[in-house]
Amino acid sequence: MEELDTVNLVRVMSDDSIHSSLSSDSCEYYQTEIFDQLPSVQACRLEQNRQSLLEASEANQDGPEPRENISHGHLSRGPKDKASTRPLRNLVMCIQGKRNARDRRKMQISNIGFWDSWRRSQSIYMKRVMAQMGGALKGLLPWQQTLRTINGRFGVGVKAYFVFLRYLVFLNLLHCALISGFILGPTAFYGSSAHLKFGANDSVLDFFLGTGYLDRSPVFFGFYTRGSLNLPCLNTPLLYLAGIFTILFLSLIMVVRRTVVGYKHTWILGKQYSVNVSYKIFCGWDFSIQDRASATLKRSFIRNDLKLFLEEQSFSLREAQRTLPQKVRLYLLRFIFNLIVLSLLGGAFYLIYFATKTSQNMSASEHHWMVSLVLQYLPPITITFVNLFLPHMFRKISSFEDYSFTTQVNATLLRSIFLKLASLGIYLFFVFDQTKNQPCRENIFGREMYKLSNFNFLATLCNAFLFSYPRKLLQEKYPSSLLAHLSGKQHFLIPFNVLDLVYSQTVSWVGVYYCPLLPLIGTVTLMATFYIKKFTVLRCCVAEQRMLRGSSSSVLFHFMLLLGLIMAAVTLGVNFWIPNTNTFSCGPFGNGGSLFNVTGECVARLPSSAQTTLRYLSSEAFALPLILTEVIILTSYVSRGRANQKAIERLKDMLVLSSSDKRFLVKQHATMLRRQKNTGRVRGAAIKEDNPRNNSTVPPSTRTN
Amino acid sequence: MGNKQTIFTDEQLDAYQDCTFFTRKEILRLHGRYHELAPHLVPMDYTKDPDCKLPLALIVNMPELKENPFRNRIVESFSEDGMGNLSFNEFVDMFSVLSEMAPRELKAIYAFKIYDFNVDNYLCKEDLEKTLNKLTKEELTPEEVELVCQKAIEEADLDGDNKLSFADFENMITRAPDFLSTFHIRI
Repeated sequence: MEELDTVNLVRVMSDDSIHSSLSSDSCEYYQTEIFDQLPSVQACRLEQNRQSLLEASEANQDGPEPRENISHGHLSRGPKDKASTRPLRNLVMCIQGKRNARDRRKMQISNIGFWDSWRRSQSIYMKRVMAQMGGALKGLLPWQQTLRTINGRFGVGVKAYFVFLRYLVFLNLLHCALISGFILGPTAFYGSSAHLKFGANDSVLDFFLGTGYLDRSPVFFGFYTRGSLNLPCLNTPLLYLAGIFTILFLSLIMVVRRTVVGYKHTWILGKQYSVNVSYKIFCGWDFSIQDRASATLKRSFIRNDLKLFLEEQSFSLREAQRTLPQKVRLYLLRFIFNLIVLSLLGGAFYLIYFATKTSQNMSASEHHWMVSLVLQYLPPITITFVNLFLPHMFRKISSFEDYSFTTQVNATLLRSIFLKLASLGIYLFFVFDQTKNQPCRENIFGREMYKLSNFNFLATLCNAFLFSYPRKLLQEKYPSSLLAHLSGKQHFLIPFNVLDLVYSQTVSWVGVYYCPLLPLIGTVTLMATFYIKKFTVLRCCVAEQRMLRGSSSSVLFHFMLLLGLIMAAVTLGVNFWIPNTNTFSCGPFGNGGSLFNVTGECVARLPSSAQTTLRYLSSEAFALPLILTEVIILTSYVSRGRANQKAIERLKDMLVLSSSDKRFLVKQHATMLRRQKNTGRVRGAAIKEDNPRNNSTVPPSTRTN
Repeated sequence: MGNKQTIFTDEQLDAYQDCTFFTRKEILRLHGRYHELAPHLVPMDYTKDPDCKLPLALIVNMPELKENPFRNRIVESFSEDGMGNLSFNEFVDMFSVLSEMAPRELKAIYAFKIYDFNVDNYLCKEDLEKTLNKLTKEELTPEEVELVCQKAIEEADLDGDNKLSFADFENMITRAPDFLSTFHIRI
């Protein structure tokens, strides 16, 4: 009786032997123990302790012997040297451990030769100096404090806009330096500057219209003459061309480099545009937040990001569940909306054509000066208004087309960038068309670009002070009025602002050949834009809840910049290669000179071997092998990338299978252990219990087909 | 040059400079901050290496840590006893790892320790759920939390065991573009 009671008691107490004996929860306890003994975990721990072990063993012996005496597994020779000169701070141990390591190193130093110790101390010193210099350079970047404030209050996306703006300022400064070196310098020394005085017909209006005084000044193409620098291969026109090409080429390299670097950051093993929730969880919180308001804001950002992710998940679920009639109706709707977009674009282009024709055909003297000013500025005004209103209409349209939020933003962005670049291109085409037979058309082009650039800046200024600020005052003073309700809270729309920047930079690139001082104007206006936008953001705007992800959008910004640069290069190329514009009537090429004349002269003076090489390089016989080589190189890169991708997938599968093998074996081991323990006590019940559960005695990896 | 300080010996300051990412001035400033947390507990003279530990509650109220949802875990992972009582060495160590100059590998190791709430060397689902709840202050519903944690584990788990080992975590964090800039406290 007593024994039965004891048996019953034992049965009740040892729960594991009766139920859940094979569930993973009860196996946890055993698993951690045996996991500790696995070779892979041991190797991991070994990596982290390797430095301290090395240092301990090296301190105990002297000379080169310690290398042989280390018997902790399969350590390679190379990293040992690095480990003993690796900075102490980078070691993963508490400070006392680092202190001991340091003392050991100090003792060791007396054992090595004079040159070794000198080299070591020099490398430590150089590292410290480099670190300090790096820190000083970082501190020199302007506007760091502003960027930090904006990041804290509005998030990474708005900060990315301002970082992009700062980058453009630097780019323009570089252009200014190049222009002063290649173009302004030679002209200052060798050119004639006789007509820089105020004439009889000049007025202040010239600064806005680009005529009169400004027409004769270094701002435009027509000012630069052949000058006295007349060597066959070193003359003013050649330097001018070289300067422009250097600017475009350098810009191309810089923008492509930044696009590629940004793209590499966002490309993650094929998951290119998906939301990475794990980043949001582990890197979402900014540890440097110190006040409660920023913390609340950051929390709401993270929450909104996650809600956006959940929304996109539910959207893709909804999308997968669309029935056929729904799909047909949706596609029809989207088709109609695209037609509307195309017709809007067509209407915009016609408006621009009309404005260009009016502006070119008016004569200056028959109107009042203000009317003539407005008429001269009519094309820039039209373009700016079109670029102002149409993107917002595109945004509204895309919200009806039932896309996910990211796709909506991307679609709007694509349409807007097409609008901006195409409107600029169409405008240039119309100007080109209408000034076919006028003298010094380069100055006319330059004037139009100058006016465009000016008006852009004016529009930014007016937008900030005549629209954003009053709207904010309205929200503050009369929050319950109808107007306030209609206008809503002000958000800083990043994509549209970035498009503005890209557009102004494209105008600067297109116009730099005809108006060499445009980068200087660009630098000044960009710096002013920085402060204006800072005012708009910090004083008038509220943080937007749904945000574009910062890191991936910088790729988009630079890609749009690249598109603008390509357009500028194409415009320039078209200008040079169209037959009837080959001869110039003003500018550094002089009367009757042309691009081909000038370069032809220079090439003719080179040694004959160089001439034949150049001739070969520019002929078709070279182009074909060049294209073939490029195709072959590209193919090899693409196929290598694909092979690597396949290898990665296979390795991942192997990893998963071997890990489940490991778990299965541990479970079996735990079961057997438990069985051994329980055979003594509850033999019959345990066996009956175990048998039906033990139907899979085969490891997972061999189960798969 | 400068004031002759008597808090540390020169040798101690050199050791701190080598073992952490701080300069002498910063170490002295850190000692000032440590001292003002508990002026009657912390001695001004550290030349004899006194054994003085400040409790978790005092450290967690520092302005740099006050608004951080993970403040308790941060302090616990740098304390030797795991309870959050920091000596001055551990205090300096903590801010050294969290400073701008610490390398990514070092930060990743400690980030893993911080997010590992049950200290079992794995980031399992419960750890992730606790992290997420601390991040969003419980503003998401439990189903949403579950979904997000499931997706996070799917993204980062390489060996298919439904939890993140240090290798998984490090692999994921090395590709995160803003890890270095967010995991940093300026003191």
